[in-house]
Amino acid sequence: MSQTKSQKRKMSLEKKHNLTGWAFLTPATLMIAVMSFWPMVQAFILSFQTGTANKLKFDGFSNYTRMFKDSVFMQSLGNTFLYLIIQVPIMLILALILASMLNNKNLRCKGLFRTAIFLPCATSLVSYAIIFRSLFGVDGFINSVLIKLGILHTGYNFLGHATSAKIIIIIALVWRWTGYNMVFYLSGLQNIEYSVYEAAKIDGASPMQTFFKITVPLLKPTILLTAVMSTNGTLQLFDESLNLTRGGPSNATITMSHYIYNQSFKYVPKFGYASAMSFLIFILVAILAFIQMKVGDKRD
Amino acid sequence: MKRKFLCALLCAAMTATMLTGCGEKKDDDASQDETNQEASNESNESSESNATEGESSGGGSELTVWCWDPAFNIYAMETAGEIYQKDNPDFKVNVIETPWDDVQSKLTTAATSGSYDTLPDIILMQDNAFQKNVISYPEAFVELTDDIDYSNFGKAKTAYSVIDGKNYGVPFDNGAVIACYRTDILEEAGFKLEDFTDITWSDYLEKGKKVLEKTGKPLLSCQAGESDVIMMMLQSCGASLFNEEGKPSMVGNDALKKVMETYAELVKAGVLVEVNDWDQYISTLTTETVAGTINGCWIMASIQTAEDQSGKWGITNMPKLEGVDNATNYSNNGGSSWAITSNCKNVDLAKDFLSKTFAGSVELYETILPKSGALATYLPAGDSDVYAEPSKFYGGDAVFSKITEFAGKIPSNNTGVYYYEARDAVATAMQNIVGGSKVDDELKEAQNTIEFNMEQ
Repeated sequence: MSQTKSQKRKMSLEKKHNLTGWAFLTPATLMIAVMSFWPMVQAFILSFQTGTANKLKFDGFSNYTRMFKDSVFMQSLGNTFLYLIIQVPIMLILALILASMLNNKNLRCKGLFRTAIFLPCATSLVSYAIIFRSLFGVDGFINSVLIKLGILHTGYNFLGHATSAKIIIIIALVWRWTGYNMVFYLSGLQNIEYSVYEAAKIDGASPMQTFFKITVPLLKPTILLTAVMSTNGTLQLFDESLNLTRGGPSNATITMSHYIYNQSFKYVPKFGYASAMSFLIFILVAILAFIQMKVGDKRD
Repeated sequence: MKRKFLCALLCAAMTATMLTGCGEKKDDDASQDETNQEASNESNESSESNATEGESSGGGSELTVWCWDPAFNIYAMETAGEIYQKDNPDFKVNVIETPWDDVQSKLTTAATSGSYDTLPDIILMQDNAFQKNVISYPEAFVELTDDIDYSNFGKAKTAYSVIDGKNYGVPFDNGAVIACYRTDILEEAGFKLEDFTDITWSDYLEKGKKVLEKTGKPLLSCQAGESDVIMMMLQSCGASLFNEEGKPSMVGNDALKKVMETYAELVKAGVLVEVNDWDQYISTLTTETVAGTINGCWIMASIQTAEDQSGKWGITNMPKLEGVDNATNYSNNGGSSWAITSNCKNVDLAKDFLSKTFAGSVELYETILPKSGALATYLPAGDSDVYAEPSKFYGGDAVFSKITEFAGKIPSNNTGVYYYEARDAVATAMQNIVGGSKVDDELKEAQNTIEFNMEQ
């Protein structure tokens, strides 16, 4: 008798707990659904409409076929993938090296170095892009130094040439985001038992061997996470293209998002087309993330 | 990062659909809107009658305005408000400082979503964007054809805000092109300001080479990737990137071809130096890196920031193209016009205000000129004594009446709806041509880009 009673009470208690949980979850879920998912659905519908400004009409997949005929968009796609292929590996490898160096127990002023490397991440995207632009200006700091050192005669217009402008965007991205990824690696390294390293040391492993045989395999989930995030971020690159190079010279550095912005706010507004291009980015991110998961995650 | 933008786009998309259902009831909830609450009080209905003059205005005599430069157009708007206040003591202008890019995106968002009640009563619009915005969102603006006396404005200037023969704007500041030279540097090379007046671009190139040789200073600097100089050259012979029907006309456009060739020659000779951004451009002027510049007359405000160069600058007209029909020494770059939005609840008051100040008060332009250098496109103001006063900074020349005179001679051109697309395409072509590509090929490519953009 008493047993069933207590069981009943227990169940209602469990129910109560569940209900409380749902009560806490509902506002956030609703907000996300209304503010995030609903607009996504709307944008998806919008992407099947063509026309300028308010004069939109449904036109099937024409926006999606249109973008493959758009030479500027194809160029922006190429630029974005170039950044992705070159910048992301450099950045992640650099972050990994820095993280394992900073994880050294005997290192002094660890906090100082960590802060210094993480600090770029705390600067505003727009202001750092503008600072890079003035650094690499014709009469900017880099040119002054190169002229003083006798390497150059007159200032080189870094942002005026396609290749150098791309390189500068990549340098800027590495500077801005390496620290951010390093923090993930550092926190990942905290989870690796120090005794594993000690054992390796006793067995006579060189630092290189410890790095490749212990650090990298044990950090794999974190590496996967940062790779997916960086891919996502790079495909959506906007501020650097807009503020650092303004997409120039002759669209050599323009990114997909920058072009989407131009199509919706600078030019005659074509929101249907802009939404379609945004969805292409979404699809690309999804595909790349899926591939990375398949390649990187061997848990099952 | 980009996610921010995507959010904005998605939000816009969301508001768009949410409001299409209830777009009709904007009259009721306009009063909730903060930016223009006062303007919409009881006088909503009475605005049709002529009850706006002074006495009956009550709470409805305030106008909200968006414009962007505190030293220039905001100052001008506030002064205009003070002048109008003399006859209408209840009148008030409420200026909200809004940078142009924000004006454009707020306008796009409001008009796309159909929620005009976020707009102010009056906005200042870049002339280059006027056609695009009115044609894209005709229901967002109020026609002014019969309310303003347009005979008092330069024709080229008024043309920016005329769509299908109807006027939508009150012309404001002047973008008449001036060529500014450092007279002391010219002298070093053995030239006078007169040697650069009424010249052609090939004279300019020749003399520029000599100046470069003797002083090491180029004559001109401009922003790479921006097509200001190209557009100025093009308009100086009345040519456009679009023909009468609004179709792109870059291929077979002799004037444009000549412009591209001239520009490339200037860069090659080192007479024109390209910099990457606006700040660098201004610093080439203020730090004596170049011996002159060519731009809309609003550039004077920036030149004058270098006070130590007072008396060393001279102003004259720009060079003209050779071998092109209708070529002149006059052109236009930039400038803006006032427009009344359809959200204005007191349209008569707004019209009356604009017609009695910006389109009817010499006193206004006399007041704002010395402090802000805001040159009028209102032609009667050019006769004012203030305009004839010599300027110490420009070697004692009466520069303002000179520029007003230039303004009357500017050939009109056709910006078209796709102006910004065309500008970017031409700038891309120009950078490739400077890099060594063929002019004809690049113009064809540019035309293809525009045609592609116009397909939809």
